[in-house]
This record gives sequence, structure tokens and C-alpha cells, in this order.
Amino acid sequence: MADPTGAAEPTDATPNVSQVEVADVHSEAEAVAALDAKVDRGEPILQVRDLTKHFPLTQGVLFKRQVGAVKAVDGISFDLYQGETLGIVGESGCGKSTVAKLLMNLERATAGEIFYKGQDISKLSGKALKAVRRNIQMIFQDPYTSLNPRMTVGDIIGEPFDIHPEVAPKGDRRRRVKELLDVVGLNPEYINRYPHQFSGGQRQRIGIARGLALNPEVIICDEPVSALDVSVQAQVINLMEGLQNEFNLSYLFIAHDLSIVRHISDRVGVMYLGKMAEIGSDEQIYEHPTHPYTQALLSAVPVPDPEAREHRERIILTGDVPSPANPPSGCRFRTRCWKAQDKCAEELPLLAIPERFKDSDTPAAHESACHFAEEKDVVNAA
Amino acid sequence: MLLEVHDLHVEFGTRDGVAHAVNGVSYRVDAGETLAVLGESGSGKSVTAQAVMGILDTPPGRITGGRVLFQGRDLLRLKEEERRRVRGAEMAMIFQDSLSALNPVLTVGDQLGEMFTVHRGMSRRDARLRAVELMDRVRIPAAAQRVGDYPHQFSGGMRQRIMIAMALALEPALVIADEPTTALDVTVQAQVMDLLAELQREYRMGLVLITHDLGVVADVADRIAVMYAGRIVETAPVHDLYKAPAHPYTRGLLDSIPRLDLKGRELYAIQGMPPSLTRVPPGCAFHPRCPLARDVCRTDVPPLQAVQGPGAEEGERASACHFWRECLHG
Repeated sequence: MADPTGAAEPTDATPNVSQVEVADVHSEAEAVAALDAKVDRGEPILQVRDLTKHFPLTQGVLFKRQVGAVKAVDGISFDLYQGETLGIVGESGCGKSTVAKLLMNLERATAGEIFYKGQDISKLSGKALKAVRRNIQMIFQDPYTSLNPRMTVGDIIGEPFDIHPEVAPKGDRRRRVKELLDVVGLNPEYINRYPHQFSGGQRQRIGIARGLALNPEVIICDEPVSALDVSVQAQVINLMEGLQNEFNLSYLFIAHDLSIVRHISDRVGVMYLGKMAEIGSDEQIYEHPTHPYTQALLSAVPVPDPEAREHRERIILTGDVPSPANPPSGCRFRTRCWKAQDKCAEELPLLAIPERFKDSDTPAAHESACHFAEEKDVVNAA
Repeated sequence: MLLEVHDLHVEFGTRDGVAHAVNGVSYRVDAGETLAVLGESGSGKSVTAQAVMGILDTPPGRITGGRVLFQGRDLLRLKEEERRRVRGAEMAMIFQDSLSALNPVLTVGDQLGEMFTVHRGMSRRDARLRAVELMDRVRIPAAAQRVGDYPHQFSGGMRQRIMIAMALALEPALVIADEPTTALDVTVQAQVMDLLAELQREYRMGLVLITHDLGVVADVADRIAVMYAGRIVETAPVHDLYKAPAHPYTRGLLDSIPRLDLKGRELYAIQGMPPSLTRVPPGCAFHPRCPLARDVCRTDVPPLQAVQGPGAEEGERASACHFWRECLHG
């Protein structure tokens, strides 16, 4: 463990895009090639269009009538490509976990579509839904409540095979489970143990093994490391990155820890109150944010460098996130925004490349839902 | 010196045997100073604070040794009655989870006012006025209207402000904040930390900030004490510690922070996991996970010894590692 980077050899012949991009860029030609590799992403594996989820608010016991709706997710769109990680960041109540549930079809969308390889899966049911679900799996936040305490590790990881028996024939399952334990770095001998015999980090590995059991293509990770101790988080992140390279997985990585999201993501989307505020490559979002909310969020994150504290420009927002049951008109962020003008209350800003950056090739030219989008590098502001 | 903790030992009786939660912790805090106590879950950082505050559940907890000197008095020798007078008035605590720390069936005005009726013998009417003042002080909008509201009617950030108001009500000399912003969103966390730092400057309080977040520490602390398995493994002024850690555990924590220039590579990860407190490894508790571990680490507990490092003055830095020199310079 003397040289932590020495062990980072990709185990598969197909290198991950982000690794090509940063780690091995030596010459300009290689850098250009890496950029090309990024542009040529092929068809998205998952396309989300105007996804909306309103939870009804009802009044009365016998004659329930709807008095309003919590607009948890209110028309968001994004693409997820094969082998990439799309990070979704935002504060509690912004709807990021609801997006995860909608993609898993654990909640029915009020409106909008989710295309998996071109097929709309948001309205599927029965057999067709079951077939699609095999390819989209989830890793949950809390490794303590997401594993059944009465089931052995072998049963937990093998349970997906009961639902999709075609993946592993009955006689082969224990061998498959042991393989999976090995893949996530647990001793295969532990197959008969119960969840309480494991630490938080090990439990999260069990959850990951369960997510991998059906050889999915897409894994939705909802705050996969936020319940873990700091010294264990890095282990789990490394495991997830290694698995992505090995199996060419696509991750939708939902988290509130912005530095971890930046580390693992190829692209990042910032959500606020059910809307996507800004989306772009990790560099575009972190170095060249154009949406005031992104700028405030980035500037508020404590930086683990005491030298930076005197020089840092911090944007301290006033007030709290408004209720999603009664969001502000126009731009959702305007009640806390220092740039807000009348236009912001009247007109909903659309998620698009801002007009002023449209023809330039600056990194600021990425989708941002603000009438007054302008670039501001808050991370390196000194 | 405002607070001096000397060689504190706390253990818990559990079904699996005795859990050694705190094994000889010493630290000191001066007036106006912020000491960050950094550690993972189970490192003993909260238990130490509870022992200092005198709110440890006994049983199952047991303070088996040490002294807690607060303005020269040993708190552990005080009677419960005297202890209660110190608590709240001279030292106060801010808890992580404001929803469970506040009483759900009392209005926030009653809970804030209670500080004044109990400790200062004020009338309820006067206490109410002081409660409104305090809520203004921590910048709760429309304080006079909201003083009669119940905790659940406030947002998380506002509730944490009420917790701060309650802790600062009697202008204590020492405040212990146990993960005060962990449950909050980043934009709200920034507001609350700013407020806490501002009030601390104003009242010249000593602040013990318990956290696991290296970012929060870097933002506000003057000095850091890093805890692992019930011991302090390193103390240092904040700038020195981030520049050149003198304990492999601290170094490991700092190295595992995702860094921009290393994107796409594997993160540095400390191997293994924190030990169980019922079976703390012999010798240095960190040795099973330590890249520098040698035979002596498996047998001898390293004492917290002075470190002469870059820019460190005499007695400012200490490390509990046999090989701190190696760690500091490499």
C-alpha cells in the first residue's frame, strides 16, 4: 500500500473514458484523442425527457380531495451514456432521490418519458418491465436498513436470481454468489453470515454485489457512501470505479458531497427544487459554473485547506429552500438569488446553452437554466 | 486555561464485554479559541464531550480516571447539584440533531425562556422577551411572531439556530458543538457555521467543535485534536496539520480526500476498518491499518510526544506515533 496509484491498473482491456482523459494524457495529440473519445459517446443508454413527479396533497378522510401537489420532480431531462458516470448533486428536497426511484420504476412518473435504449420504460408493466429492470439496478444509501437482517449474505445477493432465474440456473447460484463476493472484495467464505456481522463498509459491498448480480448495464447509486466513515468511503469509491471499468457500467451517481461527485463523475447535473439548474462536464460545472445556484453551492462547500479560508470568496445564501408544494413562480431559485429581477418571477428559464455563449467554444457554453447566466469560477477564486 | 482535560478514561459495559471508549484523552481549550476534535464514528470524540459536560449515561458508561479542569475546578469531583449550575450557564452544548434535542411539545419560546427562569430566576414574561431577543440575535426572521411556534414548524437550519441561541443564552465561557452542521445542507451549513463563528468572536467563548469533516475543520478551527479508537493520535495548529501531518492516520485521512489533479486515478484509501472498542488492538490501535507499522507498534502503546516540525513552536504539536519523524518528512 506504499503507492496507492500503483494498484490502479484497469483490469479490463477497454479503458474507461475518464481514465484516458486525465491520467494518461501526456502529449497534445493524446489529449485531442482523449477529447474525441469523449465526444463520440454513441447513443445514450438512458434518455430522460421532461420527467415529472407530483405527489398529491389531499384533504379530508372520507371524501379525499386533492388540494395541491408536492412537485418533487418538475420536468427534468438528461442523457446517460454507456460507461459514463453522471453525477447528480443538490440539497435535500431537490428531488434527486425521487429521480432515482422514477428511473427504477419504484414510483410512477406523473408525466415525461424514460427511454432505455430507445424504448420508453416509464409506462411499462408486467413482463416487459421485469425484463428492463434486470438491466437497471440500484445501490442504496443506508447499508444498515437496505439489507434484511434475517437473511444470510448468500440469500441477499442471490435473491435477484429468484426473480430472474434465467441469469443463473439453480445449481449454479452459490458459485455465482461466491464469485460476486470475491468481485467486491469480500471473503467468499462469508456466504453464510448475517448482515450484522459486517461493518458499514462491508455491508455496502454486499449491497453492491447484489446490485451486480444480474449483470446490469446501468446502476443508480443513491448516496452510496454518505453513511460510511471517511476512511472507508475511499475504499468503496475505488471499488465502484474498478467495477465500472471491468463491466463497462453506467452510473447515475446521486450525492451531496461535491468533491466525491467530482472525482467519480464524467458529467454533473445540479438540481434545485425539482428542476435541473445546470448540467455539463465536471470541468464545466466546477470550474466554469454559470448558474448562480451552482456558484453558491460550490462556494459554500468547506474546502479541506486552511490556507484557502482567508482568500476564498463565499456566497452565503439567505433563507431556506422553498417548499416544493408551493414553489416560486418563474425561476425556482429567484427567492434566494442575488441577481433576481422581475423577469425571473415572470418567465421560467429553460435549460439551454446561454445565448451569449452559444457561438463560442468556452467551457461556459453548457446548459444552464438562468436568464442571467454568467461565468464565475468560485472554486479557484483567490 | 479555560478547559483542561487530563488523561480521561471512559468505558461502557456491553454484552460483548467492556468497551473502552476513551483511553487517556487530554486536551485544553483557551478562551476565544476553537479546538476541532476530529474523528470517525466510535473514535470517542462525542463520549469525551459528554463526560466533560457531565451528561454521560452512567450506567452503562463509567468514568474510570482522569480530571476535567474547568476554570481551575475539577468538574468530576463536583456534586451533581453544583454540576447542574455550571452546565448551561458556564458551559453549554450544541447537538447534531436539533429535532430530537428540542422538546416537541414545548414552544421554542418556552424552551429558550427556561434557561432564564431556571438559572436566573426571571419571571416568565421577562424570559419570553429575552427569548425573542435571542432569536433575533441568531437571525431568525420575525422572531416576535415565531416565539410561540413549536420545533417542527421550523426548518432544519432554523432549528439549529435555536439550538445555538439556547447554548449561548447565558453567555457561557465554553461551548461544545457536536457535529452542529452535519444534518444540514451545504448552503445552510455555511450560514450556521458563519453565525457560530461570529458569535464566538463576540463573546470570546472557547469552542470545542466535534466533527468528522476535514473541510469544516479547515474553515474554522485554530487547533485540531485527531482521535482514533479512544485516543488522541495527533494535535497541532490547523495550518501545520494540513501541511505536514505527523501521524499516519491523519496523513491517510488527508490523502483520501479526492483531489482535482488526481481525478481518474484510484483514491488513496486507508486499508481495513476502525477497530471494535471491545477489542482494541494491542500496542498502537492503528497498527493493523498502518503503512509504517513495525514490531514495536504491535506491542508498545505510543505516547503522545512533542513534535518539532516545520514552523511548530515548543509544545504546540504532538503525535502518538513511534515513527512520527518518518511520517512528517515523507
